Amino acid sequence: MNIPPDDPRLTAYVLEELEGAERDAVGTAIHHSEALYQEAAAIRDTAQWLLAELQASPRPGLAPEQVVVVQAALEAKGEELDAEDLDRFDTPTSAAQEADGPGRLVPWPASWRRWLGWFGLAAACVVGGVWGWRWLLAPARPPMVVARNSTTQSLPQSVPPPAWVTEREVPPNDFAVPTEPTVPPEQAAAPEGDAALRPMTDIRMMMRYGLLPKGYRLVPEDSSAPPGSLSPPASHTQPAPTPVMRALDTQDQYRRSQPATGSGLEAGLAENPFHEVFRHPLSTFGLDADTASYSLVRQYLGRHQTPPRDVIRIEELINYFPYDYASPTGEVPIALHVEIAGCPWAPEHRLVRLGLKARGIAPLERPPCNLVFLIDVSGSMAPQNRLPLLKQALRLLVEKLSDQDSVALVVYASDSRTVLPPTPGSERGRILAALDGLQAGGSTHGSAGIQTAYQLAAAHFRSGGVNRVVLCTDGDFNVGITDRTQLAALIADQARTGVFLTVLGFGMGNFRDGTVETLADRGNGNYAYVDTLNEAHKVLVEQLRATLVTVAKDVKVQVEFNPAEVHSYRLLGYENRALRARDFNDDRRDGGELGAGHQVTVLYEIVPAAVPAPSALGVDPLRYQSPDARRMPPAREPDPGGELLTLKLRYKAPEANVSERRDFVVRDGGRSYAQASADFRFAASVAAFGMILRDSMYRGSSTLGGVIELAGEALGTDPGGYRAEFVELVQRAQAVLPGR
Amino acid sequence: MQESGANETAAASAANDWRSEVFETQQAALVAYVNHLLGDLEAARDVVQDAFLRLCEADARQVRDHVLPWLFTVCRRRALDLLRRDRRMHALDEAELETLPAADPGPDLAADRRDAADRAGHFLDRLPPNQREVLLLKFQSALSYREISEVTGLSVSNVGFLIHTALKQLRHRLTEEPALASQTTRRTP
Repeated sequence: MNIPPDDPRLTAYVLEELEGAERDAVGTAIHHSEALYQEAAAIRDTAQWLLAELQASPRPGLAPEQVVVVQAALEAKGEELDAEDLDRFDTPTSAAQEADGPGRLVPWPASWRRWLGWFGLAAACVVGGVWGWRWLLAPARPPMVVARNSTTQSLPQSVPPPAWVTEREVPPNDFAVPTEPTVPPEQAAAPEGDAALRPMTDIRMMMRYGLLPKGYRLVPEDSSAPPGSLSPPASHTQPAPTPVMRALDTQDQYRRSQPATGSGLEAGLAENPFHEVFRHPLSTFGLDADTASYSLVRQYLGRHQTPPRDVIRIEELINYFPYDYASPTGEVPIALHVEIAGCPWAPEHRLVRLGLKARGIAPLERPPCNLVFLIDVSGSMAPQNRLPLLKQALRLLVEKLSDQDSVALVVYASDSRTVLPPTPGSERGRILAALDGLQAGGSTHGSAGIQTAYQLAAAHFRSGGVNRVVLCTDGDFNVGITDRTQLAALIADQARTGVFLTVLGFGMGNFRDGTVETLADRGNGNYAYVDTLNEAHKVLVEQLRATLVTVAKDVKVQVEFNPAEVHSYRLLGYENRALRARDFNDDRRDGGELGAGHQVTVLYEIVPAAVPAPSALGVDPLRYQSPDARRMPPAREPDPGGELLTLKLRYKAPEANVSERRDFVVRDGGRSYAQASADFRFAASVAAFGMILRDSMYRGSSTLGGVIELAGEALGTDPGGYRAEFVELVQRAQAVLPGR
Repeated sequence: MQESGANETAAASAANDWRSEVFETQQAALVAYVNHLLGDLEAARDVVQDAFLRLCEADARQVRDHVLPWLFTVCRRRALDLLRRDRRMHALDEAELETLPAADPGPDLAADRRDAADRAGHFLDRLPPNQREVLLLKFQSALSYREISEVTGLSVSNVGFLIHTALKQLRHRLTEEPALASQTTRRTP
């Protein structure tokens, strides 16, 4: 084998990261080339130096009180081990107790012999087992136990490096785990016998008897995991998921750790602060039009409870309500409407309302829909406001289906089942009968059902139509972490093939809307929370049909403010939609999706340049920059004087991979709040309501009473009666939160 | 009295000791790693404590066989979230975001680290953040390439390349500043 001196495999060899033939080949090459030998030795020396240095550097670890907290949690966990855990612990343990002589250890997988070697149990067991690293590193190593992984474990003093190792021409090949690369994951995971578990628990026994040094590593590397390991196959044999997928996985882990009332990631989701234009001229975010927060807030207030901060997303409150925006007429599928007027909670500030409206599709033009409903029928879905409500809601939708649409139903609980194969909308009776047959019971395994649902959707894919899986759940996925990663990956993969995901949340207790929202985002979809039949009608009949037809995807907004006009600005809501400025022009970065007829409203609160109010920003005035200097208009032609901001909009056509861009220049006409449209005043009062609920530091002079007054004056024609309902909701909030 | 107390602790930890052992052996390494990402020991401790509390709740069958990468992934993701949130709240400019996941310490901080007998830090601080991170995962936390790949989302060969390149750079730095390097080597017993 011809290996250049700069080959990363040399380092991998020294660090014992190679296996099998590759390891042998590299080992042989090193011993046949002076240059490679020198190189490997140099790598070894550097690695050794770094190890020793890192070992010597201070590692404070957790604070003592934190150690106590974790230990208490561990002990609590220890008391509630289930039978399965005990099985796993005890059966192999007895096997280990018998294995008290080195002879018993030989049949173990080769990788485990390596372990034993480290622990100085029996030198005979490790004949050649840890060849490269030990040879390269151990003789010169300080006698400390360096690390917890076998790959960096120093050789115990009691086992001197065998003299013969340097004379071997071909290093022994007992690092390879023969089954690992060839056995498919299903088979690898299948056997659950003692043999598979023995190595780990034997190590544990050795530990118990004080045979393992502190700092040992409990769990084998994936590469050396014995066949029959119980961990899910994905962690061993599938390529590592992409960072994006991992993000969901881990964020989700965080959410799952939090109490049901939720202090998950959103808990820390601080409100957008004021940004000084001079320093931060750009505001960038993905445009999305979810509305679940409003239903959640309504649910909490209905129970006379204070909604937790993390469910109050101001942009979702604002966007719950329809506003009267004209649809686009030209080629661009999105129309922009701007209105600027005084800010009701801070009179010296200005409020900018940006309204974006996606092109609608007339009912006749609606492309055929291929819908697969994936329905959680686990026991937790039994209450009236979950599965029964869902069934009612789906009835509403079925009424609106045309003959060219098709609907399928897949349920999941302890297993998944196709209740209704894709059925044309004309066979309403069959669809309704299948719906009526749904019953809740069993535990939830979300991922198996979702695969079935996607398969059905793919099998009946309508090109040019709407292909969508609609996941209906209370969010109680009884699936593990690794499965969740796979689930997210699956959803993203399917979105690429044109099958999108919508998530409808039901119930409240364990509905992790952050998780569900992330899943929907991953599937180019949206999510909504359904709590009443009215809401179901709104979501399924009025919105879902429109939402199903995406007219623009990856919609992103970037606003550049003119420092000559604007001292500072604040985006209301959209905290979890924030993008970095450079992501705006990066087509690989996800934005939001706009369905047919969808509209999105965005509010900015602006401190005009003429009225710098640093106290409102919570920041002291700068000592070294004068306000005058900041107000200098940028050197640009033509003079942008009078321009308040430029809005840049990016979107992709549903099938496109390259985005389009449109720029809009906006000037302030100087309207007062009283002169603003009813839509503007209503949106402002909803924003104020959200800030009051959040007890925001930016709520200014707003009060619930004030909101009722302002909203009451801004009802307009109120189609659907949503605004009147809002006023009632604020009145209820007054009862729940007296004094606000 | 003392003995019985100790026995109780031992019994509890025996029933659950794969978690306990991971905690005892890994917590310091995790704190060091997160501290490296965040540059804030207290925040790092919180992240690590949280991760272990999560571990207590996690399904043993899902986590146990790759508990180390799991822990590091949980911590890393949380740390990056904190960094992002921080950056959003303080709205640092784009140039600073470029240096994710770890901001270079200023000269003062670097000097402090050296004073604290952290001479490795002196050299590591000059590596690109991604190289520095994989090096720490490999040599401080003793993860395998595959585990590092799991934690960082990089491919295994990418991890190998980064570690290889980083060690090479480190070697050149060591030969350029032999005084510092040998001084520390002597310190080691």
